[in-house]
Amino acid sequence: MDAVKTLPATDVPVRTSRIRSSRRVADKLLIVGSTIATLIGIVVLGSILLMLIVEGVKGFSPLLFTEPTPGPGSEGGGIANAILGSLVLTLIGIVIATPVGVMAGTYLAEYGRNSKLADLIRFLNDILLSAPSILIGLFVYTLMVRPMGTYSGWAGGVALAIIATPVIVRTTEDMLRLVPSTLREAGAALGAPPSVVIKSITWRGASAGIVTGIILALARIAGETAPLLFTALNNNNWFSPNLMGGIPNLPVMIYQFALSPYSNWQQLAWAGALLITATILALSIVARFVIKSERAR
Amino acid sequence: MNAAPAITQAQLTGRHKADEQAPIRIAVKDLNFYYGSFHGLKSINLNFHDRQVTALIGPSGCGKSTLLRTFNRIYSLYPEQRAEGEILLDGQNVLDSKVDLNELRSRIGMVFQKPTPFPMSIYDNVAFGLRLYEKLPKADLDVRVEESLRKAALWDEVKDKLKQSGMGLSGGQQQRLCIARTVAQRPEVILFDEPTSALDPISTGRIEELIEQLRSEFTIVIVTHNMQQAARISQFTAFMYLGELVEFGPTTRIFMNPEKRQTQDYITGRFG
Repeated sequence: MDAVKTLPATDVPVRTSRIRSSRRVADKLLIVGSTIATLIGIVVLGSILLMLIVEGVKGFSPLLFTEPTPGPGSEGGGIANAILGSLVLTLIGIVIATPVGVMAGTYLAEYGRNSKLADLIRFLNDILLSAPSILIGLFVYTLMVRPMGTYSGWAGGVALAIIATPVIVRTTEDMLRLVPSTLREAGAALGAPPSVVIKSITWRGASAGIVTGIILALARIAGETAPLLFTALNNNNWFSPNLMGGIPNLPVMIYQFALSPYSNWQQLAWAGALLITATILALSIVARFVIKSERAR
Repeated sequence: MNAAPAITQAQLTGRHKADEQAPIRIAVKDLNFYYGSFHGLKSINLNFHDRQVTALIGPSGCGKSTLLRTFNRIYSLYPEQRAEGEILLDGQNVLDSKVDLNELRSRIGMVFQKPTPFPMSIYDNVAFGLRLYEKLPKADLDVRVEESLRKAALWDEVKDKLKQSGMGLSGGQQQRLCIARTVAQRPEVILFDEPTSALDPISTGRIEELIEQLRSEFTIVIVTHNMQQAARISQFTAFMYLGELVEFGPTTRIFMNPEKRQTQDYITGRFG
């Protein structure tokens, strides 16, 4: 007599599909709309990349890496001087920005935390992060180029450092904040002073993230043009080792050559653009790899 | 309405009887603690006996962890927290501003709720505290690291992988690594802040055995929300409620014959 009781069908409220139809339409519309938007984005980005690759590859030859940029009207030539110049400028920028950025980020995350000064620095850093880069070029022009009376690699490097620093400050602070405070407490509980806790525990715990931030800052400044226009400028020769005078570099070379009437210059500009894009892509991949290897640990 | 006690006589094994004659290691006198304007601990007076395990129990937010965190002044990492009163460690007031915090913390070790291995090798984790203040030759350091890992019952499991990262160990092993790291400094007191609440029952059992062994050398204070654990491993128990010390005494008496109604209600599971 223990028949399984079933609920009377009338107890179950049945929603007719009619009630929900307007929602279903809205749902469909949203899917279609966001898919179209995504496609537009991909097509635009893809066609830029495609054009860059097609045009850039045409200009690729071993001469790119051995010959300096050609003078107006002369045939052939490469961009070896601009590649070398860009490497030097970027290196100066990152060598200045890394210690300043990591130290400032460490101050914000470890010492300043919620103090008024830290809030102020954070605010200024955010402004600097989104400042138009041409302004930074003008700033360094006034600060260095005018007093020194010449464009220089040093001025270019400083301008790039000013762009890279806020990126490093921000990522360093964010990464240090991800280190659990219990780890700091555990260090302090063993009698380690704050400097030791930072040096051997929190920096170590956040090292992959901090390195990633530095790589991303490197990628950011590798393609910057505006800050170099007023500082490093450009030239068509090999630069002097003391870095005084205009320093050849890829972004300004691209800017000038692309606007020129000479077809070999335009070709070199495409090749340079492809080279920079590939470098930034490679740096981004390295950054991802660093993060992944850290997660796997 | 006579609820059966949550802890039976059998659980309060007689093998570690409270020694009320043991000298007093830490004396807390009229201690008040504030989180900003919140009064977290109210006039606490309490003694901790040498080489005994004292458990601090009570519902969440009662101040047991807060009390524990005053002994090594770890709270001072946070500027809005402050303590008033006296905590005498061997007669010296640790709340005195002249006390060297790093020296104090090398005398009072602490093990946290979540295992906190540092991002470095197992060996370096244990050697971390030793390298801070003792300049030991490598051979001596090796000896101290092995000795500490043995005391933490971890040596056999890690002796072949001392160079590997401490983060790669299991949760229970990580917690024993943290105990080894603390023991290595040869402190007088070890504070445990819910050391097993993030661990599985088997790891918990090993940590409890370990605490029982460590008692022969160290004065131990343990915060736990697990009353059975307090009954199993402690000689003395302090019951706290809303920032006040309600009752303190030998664990057997607190669990079998509490004087205060609140204690009775808590240990029989009527609240908390």
